[in-house]
Amino acid sequence: MDLFLHYLSLPYLLEGITVTLTVTGLGLAGGLLAGIVLAGMQLSRLRLLSAFARTYAVIFRGTPLILQMVFAYDALPRIGLRLTAVGAGALALSANEAPFIAEILRSGVLGVEAGQVLAGQALGMTPFVLMRRVIAPQAIRSMVPALGNEAATALKNSSLASVIAVQELTLRSTQLASSTFDFFSIFFASGVIYLALTGAFSALQLVAEYLLDLDRPSGRERLLRLLPGRRVPVAPANRAAPAEMPQADVLRPPAAEPAKIAAALLGGTTAASAHAAAALTAPARAAPNCVVRPAPPTRGQTAVEVFGLHKRYGDHVVLAGLDLTVRAGEVIAMLGPSGSGKSTLLRCINHLEEWDSGVIRVGGRSLGYREDGKKLAPRGVAQERANLGVGMVFQQFNLFSHLSAKENVAGPLRWVHGMSSAAADRRAMEMLERVSMGHRVDALPRHLSGGQQQRVAIARALAPSPTVLLLDEPTSALDPELVNEVLEVIRRLAVEDRLTMIISTHQIRFARDVADRVVFLSEGMIREQGPARDVFARPQHPLTARFLQALGADFAAETPA
Amino acid sequence: MVAARAFVRPRPPARTTSARSRCARWLGALSGIVCMVALAAAQPAFAAEPALPPVPAACKTLQAKYPQFKGKTLADALTPHTPGYEALDPNDPSQYIGFDVDLANELGACLGFKLTYKPVAFAALLTTLQSGQADIVISDIYATHERAKAADFITYSKVFDGVLVVKGNPKHITGINTSLCGDAAAENTGFVEVPLVQNLAPVCKAAGKPVPTLQLYDNNADCVQALLAGRADTYINDVNTVDQAVKAYPDKLAKAVAVTLPYSVGIAVRKNDPAFRDAILAALIDLQKAGVEKVLLTKWSLGAGHEESPRLLTD
Repeated sequence: MDLFLHYLSLPYLLEGITVTLTVTGLGLAGGLLAGIVLAGMQLSRLRLLSAFARTYAVIFRGTPLILQMVFAYDALPRIGLRLTAVGAGALALSANEAPFIAEILRSGVLGVEAGQVLAGQALGMTPFVLMRRVIAPQAIRSMVPALGNEAATALKNSSLASVIAVQELTLRSTQLASSTFDFFSIFFASGVIYLALTGAFSALQLVAEYLLDLDRPSGRERLLRLLPGRRVPVAPANRAAPAEMPQADVLRPPAAEPAKIAAALLGGTTAASAHAAAALTAPARAAPNCVVRPAPPTRGQTAVEVFGLHKRYGDHVVLAGLDLTVRAGEVIAMLGPSGSGKSTLLRCINHLEEWDSGVIRVGGRSLGYREDGKKLAPRGVAQERANLGVGMVFQQFNLFSHLSAKENVAGPLRWVHGMSSAAADRRAMEMLERVSMGHRVDALPRHLSGGQQQRVAIARALAPSPTVLLLDEPTSALDPELVNEVLEVIRRLAVEDRLTMIISTHQIRFARDVADRVVFLSEGMIREQGPARDVFARPQHPLTARFLQALGADFAAETPA
Repeated sequence: MVAARAFVRPRPPARTTSARSRCARWLGALSGIVCMVALAAAQPAFAAEPALPPVPAACKTLQAKYPQFKGKTLADALTPHTPGYEALDPNDPSQYIGFDVDLANELGACLGFKLTYKPVAFAALLTTLQSGQADIVISDIYATHERAKAADFITYSKVFDGVLVVKGNPKHITGINTSLCGDAAAENTGFVEVPLVQNLAPVCKAAGKPVPTLQLYDNNADCVQALLAGRADTYINDVNTVDQAVKAYPDKLAKAVAVTLPYSVGIAVRKNDPAFRDAILAALIDLQKAGVEKVLLTKWSLGAGHEESPRLLTD
């Protein structure tokens, strides 16, 4: 025991910790850098890059680290690269860690819901902004445990640098054992030191997990909890929560009361409150003049034109020469069976998908193409989406799950449209009030009901004042009792704001009440279109009739509400 | 039990490291910084440490002939697992001590260079030299023709091996001969004893006995542990190493016999630097003439009889 304690506190061994940590630290840092590059290459669209990354992974994941160490130390000098022992050890460890870390990064990135990526693109985020603001923050959270593991592994693996004269803990232990013959005392001591180090790594991992936990109460909330008799507003984790919101709440006209709430929430001066109130009561489109874009087409002008749109997935034809013209201020309800091409058409209009032939113009511009007809890079497409102002609402809401309701709306305004933080917050509050979500601005998406999430998603799409709003089955993923609150919001946009909208929906009654025109799609073609009442009452195409019958809609007999 | 033994055992003072080790003994728990200060202050006193003859006058001529090594710091690759030849100083593990370390320093003093040490596995000694990560190898390595393909050797000592066995020699091992048939020998990877044991296989077969098995380990301590754990029956290495192991575990281990091997211990240098090789050879001759090597052999209890006139082995 005395000997064990002697070696446990021997400066010679303790100094080895520094070397061990240096090699580990350099190895992890290098591995992280190389891993980021490798993961980027693997995720790249360029075949050559991903093939290189895969070959690298095969080689460095498939050979023992000890050989890589010897190679870096003894073979590299032959090509003129003579690293120090620590340098060679760190290089080998980096090279070895890189493919493992790359896989962690890649799975982290791929683990972020594709819908959120799509939503980010639709909001006009460039690939970089999307990575930095949406993908990375979520990926990092999911990667912490795996990275913690990797760090502990790297620490232990650094002991292999003992074969190339790196004076780390293991080499010091073996040398000491040879010179003193105190084999077990020394290795127990060294084992305990390793345990302490990996233990510290685990503790760091737990701290990181805690700090990145979105449900962690904020410092202020924790403080408040300690005070007796204080009620702390805690976001209910109950999905059924929205039921508590009366229907009247949704129908409430955006008048004086929300202005008051907004003013209270903003906590500003009287002038600020007055400004907020004014902003709220103004129509959505006119509110912020920070988002610079060409003047929206005046009512009656063409907002969206689609000519001869063709698209196929392999042999399956999705869009078969589709033509559609939408005038400014018009509300189009798109009906049609599943697989008829509704979603694909909406995504093509926003250039979230490529098509095979045909032309799409939004506000007279060919989105995604330069003047000379050449395709724009993803970054260019993103900027044009933001400039032209095509908003999109998805079936699955696709809110950014790491951001509060307010940040979901305000974030894109800052990142894409360069709004100031204060202006973006003001605009977000205003939009959330408009969709009657002013009471849950700080809630995370997972603490909101489906209906609430969809209303936040609508606020997010509306915030940059789009000229056209595309809604892809906005109520299909909702429980029946939540459908109305969302439809009501959309109805108001149509009636009060005269916003140009293309909605794919199965809600016949809603389509009849709100849409100026109903378009019936089947097998990638428009089979029939016209005023809602006409199409529903007297469908001309047998497919339309059959579809409406299948939905059980007998509109001829129904009297207007 | 290991824990029952004292960790400080008597050992001849090392000229190259005695300042720090004595300091450590005297100051005990005091920090290394204090040691360094003491070392700096005490430096002049050690210049005249007894027992070693001064640097031979002939070295001056050599320094004039080979000025390119003067003032340089060269790297010496060693496998510091052989107490007596090269190992950590148990009293100050930041220093290497032993006959080879002293000899290297004497060579350095003669030619005017300083040394740093690179501890590597025995099997990696010559690779480290070839890659340029080290400039010289002085690490109780036997000069064989096989090895001379990778480096040039300047021999400096005869080889006497000891056969380490469990106390009482239950397997009745009498040397590297048919008494090893069917037994397990622990050896270091890359040691010359490895092929010697392997060569017994046909002999044992011819005698109708099972062949000996080999267990290859990374260092001296692991080989000794293999014997203590009952995994191996013998460990054959240079006689000093065997003696050190017996001294450490007098109740458990014993030296069965000492054998002479037809080898010499050599200093390895790179093949592409004949000037350095010649300089080392000349310096070694001068050191032997001045009696330095004998003094060092005696100092480390290796026996002055080990000294051998330098020969160049190149292949």
